[in-house]
Amino acid sequence: MKRTILFFILLVLMAPAVHAAAKTYGNGVNIQEATAVSAILDTPDAFIGKTVRIEGMILEVCAKRGCWVYIAGDQQGEKIQVKVTDGEIVFPMSASGRMAAVEGVVEELKLSKDQMIQYLQHLAEEKGQPFDPSTVKDERMIRLIGLGAKIEE
Amino acid sequence: MKWRKWNNVIHRDLGYLCFGLTILYVISGVAVNHIQDWNPTYKIERLSSSVDLSGVDTVNNNMLALTVLDQLGETAPLKNIFRVNDTSLKIFVVNNNITVDIDSGLAFQEISHKRKLLFQANFLHLNHAKKWWTWFADLYAVALGMLALTGLFVLRGKKGISGRGMWLTGAGVLIPVFFLWLYS
Repeated sequence: MKRTILFFILLVLMAPAVHAAAKTYGNGVNIQEATAVSAILDTPDAFIGKTVRIEGMILEVCAKRGCWVYIAGDQQGEKIQVKVTDGEIVFPMSASGRMAAVEGVVEELKLSKDQMIQYLQHLAEEKGQPFDPSTVKDERMIRLIGLGAKIEE
Repeated sequence: MKWRKWNNVIHRDLGYLCFGLTILYVISGVAVNHIQDWNPTYKIERLSSSVDLSGVDTVNNNMLALTVLDQLGETAPLKNIFRVNDTSLKIFVVNNNITVDIDSGLAFQEISHKRKLLFQANFLHLNHAKKWWTWFADLYAVALGMLALTGLFVLRGKKGISGRGMWLTGAGVLIPVFFLWLYS
């Protein structure tokens, strides 16, 4: 009897390991073709409101709530923020440095320069990193509202 | 009455069964409630230090990363390397994200430590496990509902649901309704 119980416990414990290659968050990713991050950032008006799939390395994870990540773009120095609803999707700290496919709606966060400085300062505080307001340029904040993701383990 | 005997048996045994997970959810619940003030799952340690990259080929990301990890004494498995731009390199190892300024040799480390017990409690409470845990957690929620319902009928008389119990149950319903009215 004990052996049978142990066998079933082992089966339950092993079940997650079978699918450990990539972990799904939220709705996962359903779109097959990925859109280049550079295309979204270079011509945002063509994408705003559209649901896209992007792929890239996770560079940063919100250290407080796991409510956003930055995905590296295909061009050097480019990255895009993926924001998710707090609690609905929680990105773990261990996701940084992993490759991810993310699906989400392209959005423009309309902020004045002062608001943008405040927002970026808030993000830097969440990360515990220094922040220099003079580095903020007058540019549009384009991001993805994340619906789902698949992150390599 | 016979139904009350069964009611109390169910209430007692469900109470025993739900004890462990309820305590775990209590701990996680309080921790997650204050998510604005802290990270309830990880303790983040941030360190700034200097590394000497003189003589290292600054175009060779692998060599740069190895030199930095060696000088920082970081031995955790390497996950990835990312060249942000000409002067900045990100090195990802398990539980540590390192950003290096190649020109100045300044290395910024973000080390994450899983909080003992809270990491596991939040993992279950926030259903990061998914899969079969979702069904078990649903079952637990139903059991909690039954625990609450059967709890109403444990006692008879003045201290039961027809007396003191009625007022306390009413207060328990009205308090959240009051907060809904206050904040909506």
